[in-house]
Amino acid sequence: MHRIEVLGPGCTRCKETLRVVQHVVESAGIQVELVKEESYARMATLGIMSTPAVVVDGIIVIAGRIPKAQEIRELLGIS
Amino acid sequence: MTLMPDSIDAASRGSRRLANAAMWSIAAMAAVVVYTQLARIAAFATYSLLPLERDTHLGASMEFFLFEVPKVLLLLVAVVFVVGVLRTYLTPERARRLLAGRREAGGNVLAAVFGVATPFCSCSAVPLFIGFVTAGVPLGVTLSFLISAPMVNEVALVLLFGLFGWRVAALYLGTGLAIAIVAGWTIGRLKLERRVEPWVYAMARGDTREELPPRWSERLAAGRVAVREIVGKVWPYVVLGIAVGAGIHGYVPTNFLASFMGRDAWWAVPLAVLLGVPMYSNAAAIIPVVQALLGKGAALGTVLAFMMSVIALSLPEIIILRKVLRPVLIATFVATVAVGILAVGVLFNAVL
Repeated sequence: MHRIEVLGPGCTRCKETLRVVQHVVESAGIQVELVKEESYARMATLGIMSTPAVVVDGIIVIAGRIPKAQEIRELLGIS
Repeated sequence: MTLMPDSIDAASRGSRRLANAAMWSIAAMAAVVVYTQLARIAAFATYSLLPLERDTHLGASMEFFLFEVPKVLLLLVAVVFVVGVLRTYLTPERARRLLAGRREAGGNVLAAVFGVATPFCSCSAVPLFIGFVTAGVPLGVTLSFLISAPMVNEVALVLLFGLFGWRVAALYLGTGLAIAIVAGWTIGRLKLERRVEPWVYAMARGDTREELPPRWSERLAAGRVAVREIVGKVWPYVVLGIAVGAGIHGYVPTNFLASFMGRDAWWAVPLAVLLGVPMYSNAAAIIPVVQALLGKGAALGTVLAFMMSVIALSLPEIIILRKVLRPVLIATFVATVAVGILAVGVLFNAVL
């Protein structure tokens, strides 16, 4: 099971990112652990400097922008 | 798609790309033609298509509106796209690598320039601050970056260029950078490192990942995303701002504002800064109004100071930065930047 973190201090762009990821996961019907991470400590540990960011299994895949649904699908290997 | 042999797939992709490129070039050329003919188009639409008379308030307002809205929006799309592409060359991670271990002064200059060129949203201010400081970028240098990033942005520059010409845009760029450099340097000299929340320095330093350089298609895609996100967000403000500007343009008598926003009123600049700091708006909404104010006799220095204080300092950003900066440092930060803006305003009013 993938662990997906959406990181951001709670701005509108971060919420939009969470919505995109949620939508992809739900419509594909896959089981993931989805976390909305607002702690700056976690961002610093990961080395994230621009938000919103998406981290899958500890690897930064998106930083500083809202991803498209298709990108998230590809990242999770959903065709 | 997967059933197709690779060669056919590549060929069809190639021709699609070619068709795309042709479409974009035609659109760009059409935009240039429209742009150069805008004055004529606006006059024609106002006085021939609409039943408006020349030399009336309504006619003047409408012509102004129909000329400025497409002009500013076209410029905005073009510049935001180019900036979006260029920004794929300078990510915050790369800026941090280039700034780490720099000395002050030179570091402040570089940080202020990077602040203009790096994508930045105020909700990233805290992660960026932590990322810089833990990587060994000096506090004052980090703040130079955080001052110039919101203050000198491409939307402000486009609008200033479109509505006032390149001189005012260049003045804004120059003085904005100067304030970021001097204010950051000053704060660095004051040795306020212990006024940063201590947990910041205790933070583990996240490693910068070495990324592969993006492909050209990805850089162009970044430009398109920038247009969609930035122009998509600011266009209503541009239209609204220009509508207000058009109203003032047609109806308010020239020199109406000269008495209380002109250069002779010494208190005009401080008041403009005082009003501007707590206000939070984007450059797009404010510049068209600013233009109308200027046209009616308000002094350039006063108006620039107002604009800078609105977009460079804002209550929400101060509240966000409070998470990492203690009150003394926040106060110093706001005061230093405000004094810089004040100086720029007074200087312009005195010189121009």
